[in-house]
Amino acid sequence: MSTAAKKTLVVTRFDPDRDSAPRTQSYQIPVQDDWMVLDALNYIKDEVDGTLSHRWSCRMAVCGSCGMMVNGEPRLTCKDPLRQYGETVVVAPLANFPVVRDLVIEMDGFLDKLKSVKPWIVRAKELAAEAGPVRQSPEQLDEFKQFSMCINCMLCYAACPVVANEPDFLGPAAIALGHRYNVDSRDEGARERNQIFRGEGTVFSCSYANECSEVCPKHVDPAAAVNQAKFNAVIDWATGLVLPRGGRQ
Amino acid sequence: MKHLLLRLEPLIWLMFGQGILIGTILLTGWLVVVGLAAPLGLVSEGSLLFLRAHRLAANPIGRLVLLALIVLPLWKGAHHLRSLSVDFGGASRDPAVASLLYGLALLGSVLGVCAVIRL
Amino acid sequence: MARPAHPHAMQPARPGRTRTAPPMQPDQFPFQGRYRAYTLFDLTGAVYLAMGFVMLRVVWALGDGSFAWQALLDAFKSPVWIAFHGLALVCVLFVGARFFRLFPKAQPPRIGPLKPPPKMVIYAMLYAVWVVVTCVFVMILGGGVFP
Repeated sequence: MSTAAKKTLVVTRFDPDRDSAPRTQSYQIPVQDDWMVLDALNYIKDEVDGTLSHRWSCRMAVCGSCGMMVNGEPRLTCKDPLRQYGETVVVAPLANFPVVRDLVIEMDGFLDKLKSVKPWIVRAKELAAEAGPVRQSPEQLDEFKQFSMCINCMLCYAACPVVANEPDFLGPAAIALGHRYNVDSRDEGARERNQIFRGEGTVFSCSYANECSEVCPKHVDPAAAVNQAKFNAVIDWATGLVLPRGGRQ
Repeated sequence: MKHLLLRLEPLIWLMFGQGILIGTILLTGWLVVVGLAAPLGLVSEGSLLFLRAHRLAANPIGRLVLLALIVLPLWKGAHHLRSLSVDFGGASRDPAVASLLYGLALLGSVLGVCAVIRL
Repeated sequence: MARPAHPHAMQPARPGRTRTAPPMQPDQFPFQGRYRAYTLFDLTGAVYLAMGFVMLRVVWALGDGSFAWQALLDAFKSPVWIAFHGLALVCVLFVGARFFRLFPKAQPPRIGPLKPPPKMVIYAMLYAVWVVVTCVFVMILGGGVFP
């Protein structure tokens, strides 16, 4: 049987209709040993203060909805055990994002960046259904599988110092997902993605902080993807200097 | 200027990457001997006498190594200082800061070529 | 205390209808936690830039002749220069160690038919090259070879 103890959660509150700026509010609540931070937030909303707003969904670290700053670190609150923290736990919305309300951030900026890298299979000509399934070896799958595990939780954006200061930077997850398709053997869109990677949101803005990989809950290692993408973008740039660009992908 | 910088980014990044990799590897030995061991008297006086130093430097490999020791740290340094500037809120000034820093690196590189040619 | 992020950081192309609070950077940026090492990594840029110009001075003095070269070597004996070169050496070792840690994962999954070697092999190769090149420099500049 779990033992109830008490912890104080210091939570960021912001109501755009009432508050000029975000403020904090403390809630001392009974907690259980096996709780995650999300359980504590849900307790607050259910039992203490129904006005608290926060995003969550699957409770098992696959949807990416519940990303927040917990004691200054970006975390998925559904898989962040409360017992590892002391008496006081500070919960804030993800860093580097505009805040809509309380712990809810504006994520359309991320979705714009993601869409811009065309995160889907691009083919010059679609294969006919009669041709059957496209075959891919385990080695070919290995080249991109890790990067496909991204759940779009945006913790990497909250940790990245370049995202904080360069509004045009595509960011770790978008570049990782674009790179995922660039190295997928079924894809033929590498050239157009490399143009995007060398555009306004340039991959070369990445400054090797590696914070994205440190905080990623799915071990995607976006820093690896970004730096591999830089290498490929340089090859694409160099071949573009030497070879004429034609219709060939 | 911003558009020009974007077009040159791959080349700048290549120079920066080589600056970290090759520049770091080459600088270590140089700093150990010329920067520290020789001034502290840990190597013989004769090892860095002008005639010997010039003979080592003036052959093609010597010139190439010295050119790398000048150029690569310049580009690494310029790119990292630009990154630092942006990290501290300098995104709006970035074209000016980048132009200044890369301009310095370019100037140093051109002078570096002159320096190794005149050996 | 968190610093403000760029006012347009992560802003959507079409802003929503409600007012949002401006984005803030992580509390620990730039001098706490893992960010400290990152900021130091960027700061080494100043030392590298200075070292590039020092090397330019060195090669120029070598081209000027024996008096200029000897004067420069004598200047390097001052405590200020020894401290600067010591700092530069620390920076170089720090940059090398940090960059080598990231280097394996920056390699493309394949170049043509070739795949990169395993991570530990890449580390070993990088550090081996570093040590060997340093030893070669020490032997040549220290007078051990090509007297």
